[in-house]
Amino acid sequence: MATKEELLELLKDGVINYKEEQVKEAAQTAVDDGHPALEMIMDGLAAGMEVVGDLYERHEYFVPEVLMCADALYLGLDILRPHVPKSDSGAVAQVVIGSIQGDVHDIGKNLVKMMFDVAGWEVHDLGRDVPLENFVKEQLRTDAEVVAMSAMMTTTMLGMKKVIQMIKEKNPNVAIMLGGAPVTQDVANLFGADGYAESAGNAVQEGIKMIGRLREYEKKKAD
Amino acid sequence: MAKQLLIDAYRGKRTASPPWVPYAGVHCAFLINEPADKMLKDPKLLAKGVVNAAKRYKADGIPLVFDLSVEANSVGCELKWWGDNVPSVTTHPCSNKTPADAGLKLPTKESGRWPVLYEAAKIAKPQLDDLDCVLMGLFCGPLTLASHLAGVRIFTDLYKNPDFAHEVIKFAGEVGAIAAGFYAEMGSEIIAIVDPVASQIKSETFQEFVTPNSQPAIKVIHDAGKTSSFFICGDCTKVMEDVCKIGTHGFAIDEQLNMNFVRDLARKHEVGFGGNLKLTLALSLGLLSPREDAIVSLAAGGHIGYTFAPG
Ligand code: B12
Repeated sequence: MATKEELLELLKDGVINYKEEQVKEAAQTAVDDGHPALEMIMDGLAAGMEVVGDLYERHEYFVPEVLMCADALYLGLDILRPHVPKSDSGAVAQVVIGSIQGDVHDIGKNLVKMMFDVAGWEVHDLGRDVPLENFVKEQLRTDAEVVAMSAMMTTTMLGMKKVIQMIKEKNPNVAIMLGGAPVTQDVANLFGADGYAESAGNAVQEGIKMIGRLREYEKKKAD
Repeated sequence: MAKQLLIDAYRGKRTASPPWVPYAGVHCAFLINEPADKMLKDPKLLAKGVVNAAKRYKADGIPLVFDLSVEANSVGCELKWWGDNVPSVTTHPCSNKTPADAGLKLPTKESGRWPVLYEAAKIAKPQLDDLDCVLMGLFCGPLTLASHLAGVRIFTDLYKNPDFAHEVIKFAGEVGAIAAGFYAEMGSEIIAIVDPVASQIKSETFQEFVTPNSQPAIKVIHDAGKTSSFFICGDCTKVMEDVCKIGTHGFAIDEQLNMNFVRDLARKHEVGFGGNLKLTLALSLGLLSPREDAIVSLAAGGHIGYTFAPG
């Protein structure tokens, strides 16, 4: 029987080297042997993806490799996720995510989405070329804490500013995060966003930080 | 405005001063107060937009269109049109079939939007000649076209189904060769393969899929006696050697690459190079001074084989 450490290693290695069968088998064994699913996700799958993120940043992995790794990760996640006890996952928070109107680029957006999935967030993915008002509608419908928008073009990027205005008008307590190649911290500030992340790797962290900042702000206002 | 200057720079030769190309694209429509979709569908407006932009920016060369959906549309991909952007491809006929199984045929002059481009070139070309400005022909490179045909799956198919990927990308290369021929016939003096997606793969993948499937188009361009280039974008440092060796007279890059690195590489391979004014930070948002940015680009570019242009 494989030990917990061995299974974690198999999951991690399977994600890094996009070995789909290995990930599936290890995930299934972990479930069958009663290992904690959340730990398997975080210290196995997610730990592997972290290494993948590094390899991508160092230009050793490129988009095809990263997508292969993501495929492997999702296969493991599909098996493990149903076994995470509700109290553990406790739906950390909700995020509405999409590529902005006019923009069909969604590879980066999907990687960010994956990171939220891994972290156990409830993700409402609007897809790509999302009409500006749909971000507002979906936020109101779900009461999500975070709205994450992706833009890959200088032209479409400008739509994000309008969404921020529309959302903040209706609901100032939503944390809005921007990302995508043309977006920088300066752009995010200029548009009035609450957060920005350069890569999928730090998107979730930024999301959590944003929520924290907003809560503090709310508390101060209440005092 | 000087055609020969631009052709020389594109071929990696020394020029008295660097030539300049605004890759205006649908910005041409904005300049004549027309929506992008209307201009791109109307040959007279397209010619008017292109000639107007060439005059206004005193360009040494200008592309007829900078629109990578033309080739995809000419073999059956559907488009969604925008008033402020180029159209996007909405359907992927090879999402579960090879080009042969999907019944895709190589385009003719009558396919898709080619009649509009031919008509526009006929009107614009003599006017650009009077301005001594090159009419550039830009067409969609093999990997980007394959991603239009098959969708994002093409990236993982490179590994999971290499035979399928080869078939789609080979077809895309053949479509590119035909597009190159069309531009040669329209009178484009410079014809470029534009393959942004090729920046997202590693060198081995580039050599296996992009280099061979760019050769048919390069041959067409050179046989017609025209000047060739390969446009890539993003931080594509790792494939730049491959770009230099692909067989075109030169290449163009965007704002994400370091100009000193690119210049040295271009000189080593004796090819032309162009870029890399900061489209986003300087020209669009003004977060950087466009003037200073231009000086930085010019200083790095130098006088050998360099074309001053937005990235
Ligand atoms: C792949 C690609 C395409 C594919 C898209 C496939 C798909 N389904 O996504 C196709 C071929 C369809 C395509 C089409 C076009 N493209 Co394109 N494309 C690219 C390319 C080469 C790579 C983008 C990519 O996927 N990168 C890999 C991913 C992993 O990185 P990423 O997207 O940056 O995402 C990371 C971060 O940015 C961040 N992130 C992303 N989103 C978010 C969101 C949040 C909330 C957060 C926190 C973080 C975050 O995390 C991600 C992971 O770390 C870029 C070049 C480049 N340098 O980026 C051009 C590029 C984006 N495209 C461009 C253009 C112009 C087009 C076209 C208009 C081409 C044309 N003339 O016809 C069309 C337009 C389509 C449209 N209407 O949207 C330009 C945009 C120029 C500009 N600055 O405006 C670029 C920059 C190329 C260039 N220099 O010309 N393209």
